[in-house]
Amino acid sequence: MTEGELSYEDARAELATVVERLEAGGTTLEESLALWERGETLAAICQQWLDAARGRLDEARERRTKAEDVPTAEG
Amino acid sequence: MRVVSQKIGGWIARLGWIWVDGQVAQITRRPGSTVVFITLRDPSADLSLSVTTNRDVLDLGAPELTDGARIVVHAKPDFHPARGTLSLRADEVRLVGLGELLARLEHLKKLLAAEGLFDPQRKRRLPFLPSRIGLITGRASAAERDVRMNTGRRWPGVDFRVINVAVQGTAAVPQMIDAIAVLDTDPTIDVIVLARGGGSTEDLLPFSDEALCRAVFACRTPVVSAIGHETDTPLVDFVADARASTPTDVAKRIVPDLRDEIRLIGQARARMWRRVTGLLEREEAGLQALRSRPVLARPEVIIDARTADVTSLAARSARSFGHRLDGAAADLVHTTARLRGLSPKATLDRGYAIVQRAEDGRLVRAARAVTPGDRLRVRLADGELAATVADEQAPTSDGAAGVGRGRSERTPNGRARSAARSKG
Repeated sequence: MTEGELSYEDARAELATVVERLEAGGTTLEESLALWERGETLAAICQQWLDAARGRLDEARERRTKAEDVPTAEG
Repeated sequence: MRVVSQKIGGWIARLGWIWVDGQVAQITRRPGSTVVFITLRDPSADLSLSVTTNRDVLDLGAPELTDGARIVVHAKPDFHPARGTLSLRADEVRLVGLGELLARLEHLKKLLAAEGLFDPQRKRRLPFLPSRIGLITGRASAAERDVRMNTGRRWPGVDFRVINVAVQGTAAVPQMIDAIAVLDTDPTIDVIVLARGGGSTEDLLPFSDEALCRAVFACRTPVVSAIGHETDTPLVDFVADARASTPTDVAKRIVPDLRDEIRLIGQARARMWRRVTGLLEREEAGLQALRSRPVLARPEVIIDARTADVTSLAARSARSFGHRLDGAAADLVHTTARLRGLSPKATLDRGYAIVQRAEDGRLVRAARAVTPGDRLRVRLADGELAATVADEQAPTSDGAAGVGRGRSERTPNGRARSAARSKG
């Protein structure tokens, strides 16, 4: 699902465009389905980015909690 | 009284000119008066004499004379009969010892300032947190202890390289210059502290030495001076990149306060966390909102909408076809009715008959159209008859004689004709 090097912002912007186009209607069934599939792909990419970010955040928080158990300064 | 005063005055007047060495306890310059009063004190005994002189004399030998300076005056004891006081009238005043030194320092200060050694723009910035601190101070001195203790209190892990030197006397300046050179070439040293506790003006003289000042100025590592008390201002204070008023004050200049820093880092970290988690939450919510839009959440709508379209179109089509069918049926009934209306059958039902010549099927509309013996075909409402013309009557009546049954005269011929025509 890693669409080349698509950044979160690019994927997010394209996703918004896809949703808008789908909502606006006026596309053929085949186009609509293609758009929807593209939208799903983009949403998954976005989710992946956010999950990764969340994972890093949680990891950092865990490291920090562990570090705080150890005294930082001696007197 | 007058005699006594005159006798003392005369006696004192016989005393000659003398050179007197002493320390200025107080100097009074009166505005608008050329007379200057100096209280001259013995440096080591508790005795003093007043000296009077004038500004010209002072400007010549000791222009910037201040309290505490050592001077030598060429003076003559002088008795003032008006107040009965004794003073030395000086015609020459010269700075000696420290006095002369201080004046020289003042001169040196001006020289160094003119050279730019005190220029604030030439001062180096102290490191925020030095990895190692060079400390030049007296052996086992209070200054060393103060600097190390106060610095360690702010930043516990601090590391010093201490060089102990003589901080007064003739050896002080060369030793300090050497120490600066050593510390300046040590790459681990980020800042050099020159510290000495309080002392007399003479004790602090090495810290105003020109060679030392130039060494400090040339030093590439930032130098902090911490000499004596707050009020002491040896020249090296002006040259140093930073001046601490006392050795105790040094710590604030050379190391940050660990507790402050930890608190600041904590605050920065908390703000950073808030921002990052906030951003992530917003993005997650945004993505969720996009994903929950019907077109993405229930893609069936893409098909459903079209299915509904198809169904509705089919219904419409069925409906409109039904209408047409109904219309056609109604038309048919109508037309059938009309058709029925035009049929001669009803006329026949009422008792009329259609007469045709059997030979050629031509309708017989007039009696003269047939001759006796002609064979006729008579169509009735129910069945038909074969007839033969028996006689021909005068054309008074239209009715066919052969068929006349007493009702034919009532029948308007046109109707029978029209019915027959329709059939034809």
